[in-house]
Amino acid sequence: MRKPYVQRQRADWWLRNPAYRRYMLREATALPLLFYTLLLMSGLYQFTRGEAAFLGWLELLRNPWLLALHGVALAAALFHAVTWIALVPKILVIDTDRLRVSPTVVKRLHQVGAVVCNVGLLLLVLLLVGGGR
Amino acid sequence: MTETVTVRVQRYRPEEDQEPWAQSFEVPYSEDLSILDALNQIKDQQDPTLSHRWSCRMAICGSCGVMINGEPRLACKTFLRDYRGKDALEVRALDNFPIERDLVSDISGFIDHLETVQPWLIRSDEQPVSAGAYRQTPEQMQRYAAFSQCINCGLCYAACPQFGRDPAFLGPAALTLAQRYNLDSRDEGASQRMNWLNAEAGVWSCTFVGYCSQVCPKDVDPAAAINQGKVASDINYAVNLFNILRGKDDA
Repeated sequence: MRKPYVQRQRADWWLRNPAYRRYMLREATALPLLFYTLLLMSGLYQFTRGEAAFLGWLELLRNPWLLALHGVALAAALFHAVTWIALVPKILVIDTDRLRVSPTVVKRLHQVGAVVCNVGLLLLVLLLVGGGR
Repeated sequence: MTETVTVRVQRYRPEEDQEPWAQSFEVPYSEDLSILDALNQIKDQQDPTLSHRWSCRMAICGSCGVMINGEPRLACKTFLRDYRGKDALEVRALDNFPIERDLVSDISGFIDHLETVQPWLIRSDEQPVSAGAYRQTPEQMQRYAAFSQCINCGLCYAACPQFGRDPAFLGPAALTLAQRYNLDSRDEGASQRMNWLNAEAGVWSCTFVGYCSQVCPKDVDPAAAINQGKVASDINYAVNLFNILRGKDDA
């Protein structure tokens, strides 16, 4: 008589293997980004409430704990971007009779694109801040 | 005196046991002894009631997949020497599958998933045998060659937490096989397979853990195949939407 033993997935499955722990670390980068999004939204809300409220919010940003959290959010975003771009050539395969792009070129193009966009955004912000003065 | 290695082997005898347990065996050590050799030594010399699957002994048949110290591996392609000096050497049945007996897993659900994606050449018009083989260039073959190396060992399913959570998920090997045929220039069945790729149990249940590709003994890279399937599924969605908006049936 058959009596197969059904193995149930344990709640701590992701702690039991280094590959799963790395995966969960990558997934967890969403949490600091959630924090950063909420912070920005609260800033926008304070902005709608008038100058004094917004200046109070700007003052709050100087809090060392918030500065540290910004550091964590930046590190998480960079880690996510770097590991994501490393995976892109696996997904974006350009190999047809007419056009063929090597996986390394696909990855480099994404890296260059990410740097150009981020530096461009930074320059734009600096330009706007400079122009506002 | 001959050096021996302690191997802890998972036992599950459905007639007597309510759950699996571990039994220790002493196996004579040698440099060239694989885990499969060790299991065969135990069965032949120590305990003939031990059940495990094996056939080719050279990573072709895909029968001897087991968990070795928590990692899905082929027993024939893993050697005692790699665990020399480690605290323990533990061999269990593959994760995520029901255990039939000892190290033997019930892989029938996995086999059903393979069949689901119709892993064969589908043609709208079959040409007669007398017309000869469907031809393709080496470049066309190269596009799916890696994905066709699968030996159906099931290690990727033991590595996949999404399959562990939901056995209805078609899983790494089946979705890779679907992509393998969709990329084959001789095949015309992609529109039939897209129904399965697009479904809840299809490519979108994959969260790109990627461990399936790490454990694959044939370097098939199922994680890449599934995520290329997501791109195909996106394109299929857009085409269907466009057709519906134009008042045509979806593809």
